[in-house]
Amino acid sequence: MKIHALLLAAASSMALITAAGAQTLDPALADYKPVSGVSGNLKSIGSDTLNNLMTLWAEGFQSQYPNVKIEIEGKGSSTAPPALIAGTAQFGPMSRPMKAAEIDQFEKKFGYKPSAIRGAVDALAVFVHKDNPIKCMSMQQVDAVFSRTRKGGTDRDIATWGDLGLTGEWASRPISLYGRNSASGTYGYFKEVALFNGDFKDSVKEQPGSSAVVQGVASDKFAIGYSGIGYKTADVRAVPLSAKPGEKCAEATAEMAYAGEYPLARFLYIYVNISPTQKLDPLRGEFIKFIYSKQGQQGVLKDGYFPITKAIADEDLSAKGLMN
Amino acid sequence: MNYVERDATRSLAEALPRSRGRVTDIAARGEPYTWALGGALALGIVMIVGFLILVLYNGATTFIPKPIAVMTLADGAVVAGEPFRSESYRPGTAVLEKLAPETRARIAANDGYASRTLYRIGNYDIYNEDFRWVSDFEVARILYPADLIYAERLEWGPFIGRLKSVHVGGAAREAASIPEAELVRLHGEARARWQRLRGIERSEIGAVNHQIERERLAVRKAEIAHGAGSAEARQRAAEAATRIAGLQKEYDGLATEARRLREEDRAVRVTLAAIGGEEKELPLSALVRFYPANAISLTGKAGIYLSRWWEFLSDEPREANTEGGVMPAIFGTFAMTLLLVIAVTPFGVITALYLREYARQGRLVSVIRISVNNLAGVPSIVYGVFGLGFFAYVLGGSIDQLFYPERLPNPTFGTGGLLWASLTLALLTVPVVIVATEEALAAVPRSMREGSLACGASKWQTIRNIVLPRAMPGIMTGIILAMARGAGEVAPLMLVGVVKLAPELPVDGFFPFVHLERSFMHLGFHIFDVGFQSRNSEAGKPMVFVTTVLLVGLIFLMNISAIAIRNRLKRKFAGSQF
Repeated sequence: MKIHALLLAAASSMALITAAGAQTLDPALADYKPVSGVSGNLKSIGSDTLNNLMTLWAEGFQSQYPNVKIEIEGKGSSTAPPALIAGTAQFGPMSRPMKAAEIDQFEKKFGYKPSAIRGAVDALAVFVHKDNPIKCMSMQQVDAVFSRTRKGGTDRDIATWGDLGLTGEWASRPISLYGRNSASGTYGYFKEVALFNGDFKDSVKEQPGSSAVVQGVASDKFAIGYSGIGYKTADVRAVPLSAKPGEKCAEATAEMAYAGEYPLARFLYIYVNISPTQKLDPLRGEFIKFIYSKQGQQGVLKDGYFPITKAIADEDLSAKGLMN
Repeated sequence: MNYVERDATRSLAEALPRSRGRVTDIAARGEPYTWALGGALALGIVMIVGFLILVLYNGATTFIPKPIAVMTLADGAVVAGEPFRSESYRPGTAVLEKLAPETRARIAANDGYASRTLYRIGNYDIYNEDFRWVSDFEVARILYPADLIYAERLEWGPFIGRLKSVHVGGAAREAASIPEAELVRLHGEARARWQRLRGIERSEIGAVNHQIERERLAVRKAEIAHGAGSAEARQRAAEAATRIAGLQKEYDGLATEARRLREEDRAVRVTLAAIGGEEKELPLSALVRFYPANAISLTGKAGIYLSRWWEFLSDEPREANTEGGVMPAIFGTFAMTLLLVIAVTPFGVITALYLREYARQGRLVSVIRISVNNLAGVPSIVYGVFGLGFFAYVLGGSIDQLFYPERLPNPTFGTGGLLWASLTLALLTVPVVIVATEEALAAVPRSMREGSLACGASKWQTIRNIVLPRAMPGIMTGIILAMARGAGEVAPLMLVGVVKLAPELPVDGFFPFVHLERSFMHLGFHIFDVGFQSRNSEAGKPMVFVTTVLLVGLIFLMNISAIAIRNRLKRKFAGSQF
């Protein structure tokens, strides 16, 4: 996959993880230096996976520019493109790339494509209850658990924990499924990657937020659910995943995500309407620079996601003409 | 029952089949139904009271400082944390196999159950987790050392560990050598400096930035009015450039001052050490409060409890709403409810007056009445969609085109905001006011109107001086009901202007002082957000209870004051009747 190749390239050049397990920032990331004359209103509408991260960025940005007002609304990634097109928001955080149809609509209105900012790396985790002894799952097994079409190629449905190889009291217990509602980018991404574009089972309990999924799994011993790794609590455990049956399982850690081993790693995007002919206004320009700075990426760590590297930051910034 | 009657009953009972004996008697008197009704009422009350007690208990205990336990685990690891909650569970076979035989025997003797406790271990920046489960059988030893502190930080959540050293004036001093009073004084000074720094950044630099933005908008406006590159636009741009240059100088001065303060602030630092020895150095002002959790007196605990409440009520949210206060949300809820009342009262009362007093009662009026009643049954989210489509996009969009073209494509009124949210809720609650007002008008005795008309008053004079004042308590009841409904509504607000973060209040020091177009925060939405969207749902749970207590309290307070006003009105008019 493209993202994995990119991540691999980015990770091979630098060591990002300390031995203790606490993630650290790419030391090459620039410090953010405030400039004068930045003020005004910003509004962000989009993904709820990115809701807290946008809020943390907003708080950080506001401490640099006290008079900037930032409002954040997060009801799901699908709400971002219409908001950008209608001009009701300047930033559209999305936990999946825009679909071709959404880009077309945007292009029809403005005559150019929206710009994507890759702000953070997320490992989508498959969570189980903390007492669940399961060691590893392949993507095909995940597909057979969540999907009724099973496009991953498994020939039989997985309905009980026994089907996944658990014994004892687990063997006969049915798997209780938790997931996100269809407006969410997490839902779309999971459907595309983990379900191989198949359909979810009807028994998946759709939750209004990522943390609601985690709470659902935490309170139901025989549950399984998916959401961003940033929402992990002490009550749940992220199952190591492998891309193919029989392969080595990768934990949902930054290391594995950068190395491309973890099959559900993805970029989190922030879409912006940048006209190729006009100069970007300082407010939005500075916010974008802030996201790519050390301070901005610290917010990523704080929210439990994985920071991006200098290489990615430079690539995106130069594409938007913001390098100096 | 006298003798004759009983005799009659008996003979009747003998005449009838046996099955319709005493049971029928009791059923006929309705006793079982009375009991059932009473029971149902009691159940309802118990559930409401139980719910309130649950919320109040959890909300009230959240801010109580807890002791910090330091556990040495069987494998030698040391964990320090606040106990959060405990549960019993059945350890899996994989876990059991690793245990010592005597521990395994103990668990087996207990039906395979063991207990474990969730500890808040804090130090998220070091451990990458805030909470940790510790099973009782893992623990070798528990201690409560007196020198452990619980520090609430501006960033990264709480820190649990020891205060190692304090750096003042370029020299590091061991924390143990600093008397407590001096530490408190240093912290007070640091916090005051931080507040001053924030004041400069917020209000003074904020004002300069605001003016610069206004100049930029003025240039843009001139360009739109006269065309880009026209003489007027160029002249306005030149004016703006000189003014911005002046403002820039002012900004530089303030920025230097802010930088100086910041450096001063950074010069006073503390080093904290976690239980495992990992150290963190941060400015002293970044500690909101810290206390030795195991060595604190009862009065000290009470002080921390109160100061946490005060922070919660008066401060802005921090760390993506999971910490800090909810002041913007309290203000937003209050302002929205007030605007809602201002909007809904005239509409509701005027409609009801016309329907009851002026309109000829006929088929059309009853159709309208039925429609109004039906309106009350429309799901609230439908009003939200209407508010977004009509108020924000159509009405607000046109206002933007007409009055704020220089700000486009950034919308001013063309998106959700306080005004649109209040109007949407006013639409939602107007049927309540109409129905209540009509009832109140109908309850004014006909004789009083006739008396007034007989004295030569016109119809409007009668309504104004006789009918309306007497109907006032009933109208107030309608408004109270509308208010309670509106303040508790969240679903439509999510579409028309409530956001996760909007620390800027709709009222501030910049012209025109009241900004009804701004998005706002709302306690109801805050509960949803913290409960279901926050990263750390474990830490969010207690905050949900506290916010619920606050929301219930706020609605209660608003209702109580409305009821007090109504009672005053009642007394006033009760006296003037004869």
